[in-house]
Amino acid sequence: MNLLKLSLAELNARERVQSLLDEGTYHELLDPFQRVKSPHLEPQGIIPQNDDGVVIAQGKIDGKRTLVISIEGAFQGGGIGEVSGSKIAGALELAIKDNREGRTIYPVILFDTGGVRLQEANYGLMSIAEIGSAIVELRDWVPVIGVIPGKVGCFGGMSIIAGLCSRLIMTREGRLGLNGPEVIEQEAGLEEFDSTDRPLIWGTIGGAQRVATGFADILADDDVEIIKDGIVSFMQPAEDEPRSAQVDQYFSLIKSVDPTAEWSPASAREFINQQGSPEFEPAPLSSEAEPSRGRTWFQALTGNQPSLSEDVPSFLCADAKLGEENARFLSIVPDAHHRFPRVRHGEVGLLEGWSIAHYVREAMEADEGEGGTPRPIVAIIDVPSQAYGHKEELFGLHQACAAAVNAYTTARLHGHPVIALIVGNAISGAFLSHGFQANRILAFDDAGVNVHAMSKQSAARVTRRTIEELEEATKKVPAMAYDIHSFNSLGALASLISGIDADSPAEEEVETVREKIVETIKEIREGGPNLKNRLTSENAVNGGRRASIDVRKKLAEQWK
Amino acid sequence: METLHFEYEAMEECHKRAHVGVVASGDLEVLLEPSTDQKASVTIRTGSEGFGDTWEKVLQRFFATHPVAVNIEINDFGATPGVVSIRLAQALEVSTDHEPA
Repeated sequence: MNLLKLSLAELNARERVQSLLDEGTYHELLDPFQRVKSPHLEPQGIIPQNDDGVVIAQGKIDGKRTLVISIEGAFQGGGIGEVSGSKIAGALELAIKDNREGRTIYPVILFDTGGVRLQEANYGLMSIAEIGSAIVELRDWVPVIGVIPGKVGCFGGMSIIAGLCSRLIMTREGRLGLNGPEVIEQEAGLEEFDSTDRPLIWGTIGGAQRVATGFADILADDDVEIIKDGIVSFMQPAEDEPRSAQVDQYFSLIKSVDPTAEWSPASAREFINQQGSPEFEPAPLSSEAEPSRGRTWFQALTGNQPSLSEDVPSFLCADAKLGEENARFLSIVPDAHHRFPRVRHGEVGLLEGWSIAHYVREAMEADEGEGGTPRPIVAIIDVPSQAYGHKEELFGLHQACAAAVNAYTTARLHGHPVIALIVGNAISGAFLSHGFQANRILAFDDAGVNVHAMSKQSAARVTRRTIEELEEATKKVPAMAYDIHSFNSLGALASLISGIDADSPAEEEVETVREKIVETIKEIREGGPNLKNRLTSENAVNGGRRASIDVRKKLAEQWK
Repeated sequence: METLHFEYEAMEECHKRAHVGVVASGDLEVLLEPSTDQKASVTIRTGSEGFGDTWEKVLQRFFATHPVAVNIEINDFGATPGVVSIRLAQALEVSTDHEPA
């Protein structure tokens, strides 16, 4: 009997995989000797790594075919770029194919990542959207098992991915949250989150708290054999829905959170485990509607309909005619009196994420029940960011975002044409949650339309550059730029709509947009439900996604 | 960022390739592959410019003790000479290990 503990967290990404797989079964795809590294780092003076910080291996765990994906937290903070992201997405896509054809393979993801690699910004976002889509699809066949052993933890867009996993194993050294403590302090100030307060950090996003509040399943000692046992125990059909699909329960829980109260790790545990507080009555809602592009276009496209969402005024939802049929429109808007102060400028917060999930699923269930054609779903996008706040992290903002991602993805896979219409900002976790899972993304050709992984100020600070240096770098790497033309060159946009006054459109401009959406719906119904078009578009093929396409091709060749 | 290149006479054969280390702060990635030429060839990509002399001394010492015919690629993120020497020794250990690859 081996009494010595072997720490998983202390191992590097490759050693972690080797330690978990049954002896002699390790088969790495795109190993470092193949030198498939990021083409975007050297032009910025950053040293690349030959596996781009992600290890993909097939092998066996407890005799069962397994795909292990391991992120190297020590290289660029485990940040997801084009190559590393495509390695993960591409491997999961191959696992879908195998499972669909009856060759069961269990996917296991070892997270150690800060999220999007800011030096490749929009490539990270696009890859994370593709990874999320693949996980939702995979869960129809096998549980997707996530492990957060600790060192960096799991943050940013990748925390949403963790929130999509069927099962999650964490150690006490693991941390899980949408926004890291430093980012919250930077965006919202020291009063919101003191990033030097270690008990606060661990009591909010640490493994013990996450498991105690149900955002993860097993709190494991940092020991290879114990974590392996946990993985093996999850390699069977899951009996319950994954967290990101348990919408009713979480939505009512979050609605009963009193954001004006002082919350401690202990009181949050108690509150969540009692399924919320039936006594909480939120203050009466304000009725004044602040102008915003999100509201303008929601009103224009729905013909000024009242929102179905009465208790969350920052979230607008209505069904309205689109061509010959009814479509569901969703938008997130500023609300100066929002009871969660951190979302008052139109950010995606807890209530917004769960609202998206609820109202997308409501449309899906209604159409399924009536046996009708799945109605189109239109996400109107003008979101400055996700919410940066302590309570947001404590109550699992990453999980709210995962629920939104899950709902849009499931709707798309079930035949609902999902269209994203970017009328303003589409930033980071907010865009991942609201719109990035659409079959097709449309955007206005307008200077006020921006797509990015982080605000310029924060991105400069996190990557230790001045704003001028950051802007210089965007000239070499279009994925780092904020403008919509640069984003368009990456191939993810289905169409750029010009000649529209985004702030105060005339009726004929609204009609032009409506026609464009109707035309796009037709294209979607003729094409497939997956996101492949983002890799086959003219701009993608002509260089925008060269590395993404190449990585997938090589993975397929080396897949066993 | 700069790229450095060094070559040394080498006659000892090695049979296996090796990969050690990570491009993490103060660390480096070493890719070692057997060479059929009677020489050792080292290419270094480093973020810390102006340390060519130090690299040369570290490598000279290494190949004086282990004249192995290899191609080495290094991606360096500010590793100290001590760390570089340890990583090179590790890579050599992996490449001369008689266990099957």
